[in-house]
Amino acid sequence: MLEIENLSVAYGGLTAVSDVSVTVGKGEFVAIVGPNGAGKTTLFKAISGVVPPRQGRILFEGQDLLTVPAYQRAHMGIAHVPEGRQVFPNMSVADNLSMGAYTEEGQRRQAEILDMILSLFPVLAERSKQLAGTLSGGEQQMLAIGRGLACAPRLLMLDEPSMGLAPAVADMIFERIIDIRVKAGLSILLVEQRVAEALESCDRGYVLETGKVVLQGPHQTLLEDKRIRQAYLGM
Amino acid sequence: MFGRYSFIRETLPIVGFAAVYLLFSYWFESSYYKLILTLVPIWATMGLAWNLLSGYSGLVSFGHASFFGLGAYTTTLLLVKFGITPWIGIPISMVVGGLSGALIGWPTFRLRGHYFALAMLAYPLALLYVFEWLGYQEVAIPYKRENGLAYMQFGDQFGYVVTATLMMVAAMVLSRWVELSRFGLALLAIKQNEAAADAVGIDILRAKLKAIILSGAIAGAIGGLYAIVLLVVTPPSVFGMLTSAQALIVTLFGGVGTFWGPVIGSVILIPLSEVLHAELGHILPGIQGVVFGFAIIGVIIAAPEGLFWGIRDRFMPVPSRRGRDTGTSKVPEAASMHRTKPAADAPVILRVCNVSKNYGGLKAVQNVNFDVPKGAIFGIIGPNGAGKTTLFNLLNGFTPLSTGQIFLDGQDITGLRPNEVCRLGVGRTFQIVRPFMRMSVLDNVIVGAISANENDDMARQQALEAIEIVGLADSVDRLANSLTNKELRLMELARALAGKPKLMLLDETLAGLGSGEVEDLLHVIRFIAARGVTIVIIEHTMQAMVRLADTFLVLDHGAVIGLGEPADVTKDPKVIEAYLGKKWANRA
Amino acid sequence: MGELAIITENILQALAAGLLIGCIYGLMCAGLGVIFGVMRVINFAQGDFMMLGMYSAYYLATSFGLLAVLGPFFGPVAAAIITGPILFIIGIFVHRYLVTRVTGVQVAGLEGEGHFAQLILTLGVALVISNGALIFFGSEPHSIRTPLSRTAWEVGPIFGDAVSIFINKARLVGAAVSVLVAFGLYIFVTKFRFGKALRAAADNPQSATYVGVDVDQAHRIAFGLGIAITGVAGGLVASYYPFQPYVGIEFVIVMYAGVVLGGMGSIIGAFWGGLIIGLVQQMSTLILPTQLQNTAIFIVFLLVIFLKPQGLFGRNAERT
Repeated sequence: MLEIENLSVAYGGLTAVSDVSVTVGKGEFVAIVGPNGAGKTTLFKAISGVVPPRQGRILFEGQDLLTVPAYQRAHMGIAHVPEGRQVFPNMSVADNLSMGAYTEEGQRRQAEILDMILSLFPVLAERSKQLAGTLSGGEQQMLAIGRGLACAPRLLMLDEPSMGLAPAVADMIFERIIDIRVKAGLSILLVEQRVAEALESCDRGYVLETGKVVLQGPHQTLLEDKRIRQAYLGM
Repeated sequence: MFGRYSFIRETLPIVGFAAVYLLFSYWFESSYYKLILTLVPIWATMGLAWNLLSGYSGLVSFGHASFFGLGAYTTTLLLVKFGITPWIGIPISMVVGGLSGALIGWPTFRLRGHYFALAMLAYPLALLYVFEWLGYQEVAIPYKRENGLAYMQFGDQFGYVVTATLMMVAAMVLSRWVELSRFGLALLAIKQNEAAADAVGIDILRAKLKAIILSGAIAGAIGGLYAIVLLVVTPPSVFGMLTSAQALIVTLFGGVGTFWGPVIGSVILIPLSEVLHAELGHILPGIQGVVFGFAIIGVIIAAPEGLFWGIRDRFMPVPSRRGRDTGTSKVPEAASMHRTKPAADAPVILRVCNVSKNYGGLKAVQNVNFDVPKGAIFGIIGPNGAGKTTLFNLLNGFTPLSTGQIFLDGQDITGLRPNEVCRLGVGRTFQIVRPFMRMSVLDNVIVGAISANENDDMARQQALEAIEIVGLADSVDRLANSLTNKELRLMELARALAGKPKLMLLDETLAGLGSGEVEDLLHVIRFIAARGVTIVIIEHTMQAMVRLADTFLVLDHGAVIGLGEPADVTKDPKVIEAYLGKKWANRA
Repeated sequence: MGELAIITENILQALAAGLLIGCIYGLMCAGLGVIFGVMRVINFAQGDFMMLGMYSAYYLATSFGLLAVLGPFFGPVAAAIITGPILFIIGIFVHRYLVTRVTGVQVAGLEGEGHFAQLILTLGVALVISNGALIFFGSEPHSIRTPLSRTAWEVGPIFGDAVSIFINKARLVGAAVSVLVAFGLYIFVTKFRFGKALRAAADNPQSATYVGVDVDQAHRIAFGLGIAITGVAGGLVASYYPFQPYVGIEFVIVMYAGVVLGGMGSIIGAFWGGLIIGLVQQMSTLILPTQLQNTAIFIVFLLVIFLKPQGLFGRNAERT
């Protein structure tokens, strides 16, 4: 479904992502883990088209994404839930969700998807009239995911959904992501620092370090790998 | 550039230019052309005044007409009401300009960006209406039949050309001096990155005030001369939008941030628009403004920094790639090994007591307590969003605390501004590198040294030493924007080090580096610590930190969840959970 | 007539004039608010685009004959409304060929140098438009003269026989049209899909891209729309106020004061801000000489910037 081939991205003179190849199959859940500054977010931005790659190809359902302007990619079925939530702070929760449904597919299935979003995150229904910027961090994260779902995507990209959240809230977000996978049946690409949760829930995973893929494989193999433990705890 | 000021060498081209200009002007007979040739240095000087504030510090002022107009009215009214000659009136205008600069700057510098520009726009327009209301709609300079010279009334228009040119020369020399001084370097640093400038000890408000006072003084003086030359002042002609705009236009056209810029712009644009106005003004009355408008639209699109830079970049490319392959650190390996951990009874250099920071309902940092012994390498670790950078911002004064206290060497530093904290001996680097991109490595590091050194040569020496320590000695002349990530990190270390800190706060200095590069940086950090500087370092991953730090503090969701020796901390189940997740902790 | 009655009458008269002018100012500010709110661009040329709106309405009403055909009531109103689409197209062109070079998503990150260029560019546009207008339209003041601009309704007498106030008919019509247009704008940005997209692009351009909004296009529409709305306001002003090519600068400060007062970024706040500026301006004549009307505006403007930079109506959820 998504094929990234030998992708390199540079900011100014600095190479943030070099020669990365990642694939996501239809209905697959893929996780990318790695330390800060490893290039995970940059990789996501390249897929969404807000940073131009220097080299390589990105194919989505066979179509070359690099010829498609960034805003069109949402209409093709890619939803990006960015790092740090990035909700529309001065718009109400309801308006944030209706902005998510800006795509044609999202418009068509708006009522049906809204039901699903509100059943996943009932708190959003309670907060419907409130400005998104006044929500708590966890609620904003739910809203950001909801907004992504409202696009009616076939690929959902989640960038560090647990960042800065209290552990209980982060756990809850993870459970919902697994629910989403079951309910909506879409492909998921996840970037996470909570290695265990990410690797346990995914089908396959990649470890990114200083812009390169250093390890990849099915989740069971990665979970048993010593190097992951070392990378995160220095043991 | 900094610290190599030779008065003769810098002044000679300016004086030479002025001499050529005067010779050229003398050649013209018509007093109309001589009027134009007087206006050229007048607007060049006004441009220099604008450039001194806005060009060097990056704060766009649309209000320089305030200073110009106050200067014009001061000189005129002193002459009309009290018979005081402009020879004294213009210096008084200069003082008035400087004072009004201070009065306007003091409140307005609290504003940033858009708000600053808009507020500055309001001052001259408010003054315009006030002067109309005061009844000074049109004040004419009385003609002094006898003794005209004593009242700056020359028989030949050429006298005004000379006077205006001399004032321009003075403004150029002053601008050049500013460019080469520590003050100019501070302004440049503020322009490029205000937060970083604050953190290396530059008193930002003071530097800006100094700039606006100088700038206002020049504008006031030249406003006074303008009134004398034109023989009549009206509020719109001196306080109007076109006055502020003209100062900005000649500078932008000629080149921002260099003393040649306003001069070049004025030499080209003023005669062009005046001649067009004279030749076509009766059929196309607004032609002057149209030309100015198109000039700046064209410049901003084609050469956004002005002609001077556009031409310089084309014909004199900066040798920025020099020394490209000298990336390796030159620190002797053995040197870093001589460091010993501080003894158990070492004095405490940094004490953090019950520090918290709340943003609305979000507790970014909650009730954090720790002591850092002198000479330690103290690691603060925690996952993304754990509040590490917020904690640093509290420590060096970027962010005010909600509660708690911070002591440095027993002194309470709670609530001090970053530049004050820096001058007490706390250096810091940033998670996202904040270099002054268009300055050389040396100038970048000198900015870090100027607050700790009274003397410019000392500052330069200190900077070179710091560069040597981090191993960038071969790259001193390269521009910061040509450096690799690792070199930028090293340069930031040098910049913090150049302020002779007792304590350095390093924010994710190792982020985004390859494993070989991490080793180099670890050496440099150990080497700095071995020279007696206490280090507090933030890291996201533990791998490198286990080998670097003596003590670990683990932060999660703004709270301390572990503190102690690295070996113990990494075995703590709570820490493992924070890093690898609950599920992993259950497995382990 | 007692002294108290005179004072009351003066206050009521200033209040009424302030409200009417304030509504028209509010519309001007709402236009600027759209541009500033969505693009974060300080458009110096806004006043000059408004001046173009005045001339457009003037020529539509006189030379084009709207006044003759539709009469003194509907003629000026129609001229002002038709000015909207004309300026919208001008705005789209100016954005497409000039403003876009120095703004947009790619420059959004460049805090310092980025907006530096925008300010200067719009200043250049302002100079070209105002002086170009001088060449084309000449310097003598114009205004759309109708019987309405010379006549007033008498309200009253109220409070017994002593107090009555006069309301200029042209201003009243202008104020009513302003309120209607502003309300239409409000409906557009809160209820319509594309209006919401404009707000989303303003709030977080990157996230707007992620949900499929073409942010560059949104900016272009916002620029055109903002200029069109201010142009309509200019067309309404033209029916009671004599203008010349340099009139723009008088209103730029009024507009920015209103936008700042209403909370930079809030389009509807900008309308309320403009309304207050109109009131301040008219009420100030009670205690200050007429020449200092605008100085009163500047003082209010500076006070707001210093004391409450988020604006009186800023419902901005971002932390400052």
